[in-house]
Amino acid sequence: MTYLASFFTAPAASSGLTIRILGTLVFTAIAIFALSQAPTRSRRPIVATVTFFAGLFYVLFYLWPQPYDRKPNEIPLNSVEAVGFWLKDAQPVVSTFGNIIAGSMLGLGIFSLLSVHLRKFVKKQRDWQFSGILLLSMVAMAVIGYWNWIQKIAPGSPDLENVANWGFPQYANDFLFDGMLQQMDAAMFSIIAFYILSAAYRAFRIRSIEATILLSAALIMMLSLMGAVEYQTSELIRNISGNDPNGFINNFTLKEIATWMRTNLQNPSLRAVDFGVGIGALAMGLRLWLSLERGGVSA
Amino acid sequence: MQYYDTGWFGVFVTAMLTVFILFNISRAHRNSESLFIRRIPGLNAIDEAIGRATEMGRPVLMVPGIGGLNAISVQALNIFAHVTKTAARFSTPIRLCLADATVYTVAQEIIRDVYQKEGMIERFHSDSVQFVSDRQFAFAAGVAGMIYREKAAATFFLGEFYAESLIFAESANAVGAIQVAGTTQTTQTPFFIAACDYVLIGDEYYAASAYLTRSPVLVGSLIGQDWCKIAIAALILIGFATNSYQSTQLTSQAYDGKEWTPLAQPRHYLASETWSSLLFNPKSARDVKVERPLEPEQGGSQ
Repeated sequence: MTYLASFFTAPAASSGLTIRILGTLVFTAIAIFALSQAPTRSRRPIVATVTFFAGLFYVLFYLWPQPYDRKPNEIPLNSVEAVGFWLKDAQPVVSTFGNIIAGSMLGLGIFSLLSVHLRKFVKKQRDWQFSGILLLSMVAMAVIGYWNWIQKIAPGSPDLENVANWGFPQYANDFLFDGMLQQMDAAMFSIIAFYILSAAYRAFRIRSIEATILLSAALIMMLSLMGAVEYQTSELIRNISGNDPNGFINNFTLKEIATWMRTNLQNPSLRAVDFGVGIGALAMGLRLWLSLERGGVSA
Repeated sequence: MQYYDTGWFGVFVTAMLTVFILFNISRAHRNSESLFIRRIPGLNAIDEAIGRATEMGRPVLMVPGIGGLNAISVQALNIFAHVTKTAARFSTPIRLCLADATVYTVAQEIIRDVYQKEGMIERFHSDSVQFVSDRQFAFAAGVAGMIYREKAAATFFLGEFYAESLIFAESANAVGAIQVAGTTQTTQTPFFIAACDYVLIGDEYYAASAYLTRSPVLVGSLIGQDWCKIAIAALILIGFATNSYQSTQLTSQAYDGKEWTPLAQPRHYLASETWSSLLFNPKSARDVKVERPLEPEQGGSQ
């Protein structure tokens, strides 16, 4: 039952793999050509059929009972198990299709970047300097990254985990990736702290009843997380209750109120939103799978 | 979502929700005019935002988040197709910034198609749809820079957003743009609420294309979603009532996730032993042993 996997896979550097790659390229080219030559009216049913079968695979994969306690080289006991075996074996192969499509699309993304920024740079349009830096960074990162990778996988290469064995590509890659890219990522992430402050300032201004409720809730949550404030208010409540651990007023410490808000207000609201989003995604998925939409993506 | 994971009830509920949606889609085909959709302020603001951008001669900027090609980004692109249609009529420039190459390819085709259908293909510029970066913060920096440099008059952040959401929203706020935002990520919705003018919350995001186009399929699907929500609310109420009743009753058996064993002393039902809990968490069959014949070349019984 592993025939699907063995049909699509072959050992690395084997002639079988080369034949499969070439065959796939030829098949893809013929399919694209045929689709582009097909009358517009007939293209839609073709795309809809392919979409339906692609979706059907995953619907079956999730809903069809999968075999229990399956060991290698076993034969299914009945037809239900046979389908389950087939789905299980085919899933890694089918999911690779998605990766291949995404990989080929990345080329189009790079083409978009190059076309926009090369034009800006060559024609010296506004902010052309930024485009120049982007192109330079892109080329440097690709060249150094590839050089580093080639050295890493080369047979008989030294242990590049050890810094003592590093050469120019490793130092350059470390500088570009860890020294610059990661640090710039971290800097962008840090900026969020300041943005939170300015957004909170605007959101918490008391302009309406909703904003006031928002401010009060945020205040309670923030104060409950401040150890000193939380301790002082808890002590105050304890004194009022006369150190009675069963006193009703003990429910009104900042910690208790914050926990109550989280479990009784926040969690149910988020779950309700998640239900709505989940159902929306289900409906959207059904419309796309069955090609029911017209316009937009399904035009 | 396997039978043995959720029991027959989980599969049954999913099938029921699917039937609700498909039934209402077919019902809307027959009679879509009588179906009502409540007002959604965030979607009403789209025309206002584009009008403002047109008056100011500044671009409309759209971001479908940083997710891959999935139902969320497809929905975002559907809304952006509508925004682009309106913008194209007024010759308002648009910028669609993308973080995923697959979404970029689809988006470019959709936007070009919109201009083509409006008979204004000459107004479509390749710069209008841009792949910026697939790294989260490189994308955030790129889009924020674009917002500042081009002084976008209206921004639409609809899709799958994470930590970069506030960077976009605050940058757009800094240049005085009207902002319409919506995300399926509940962790990011508060940031959008704090920073944006209009926010689509939860399933409003998925209602957007039905609201904007009034297409029978989409409106029917929306009504189906409402039926689903009613069904889920009813299930919650039934679960609440049965659990509340059962937790007051005594049991002389304990359930360990596999089987019931007698108790020395009767006690109240635990939450994991109630009828509704068992309905969704059936007896585990993980330790089932199955003997099967082996393939012939391995020397099996075949």
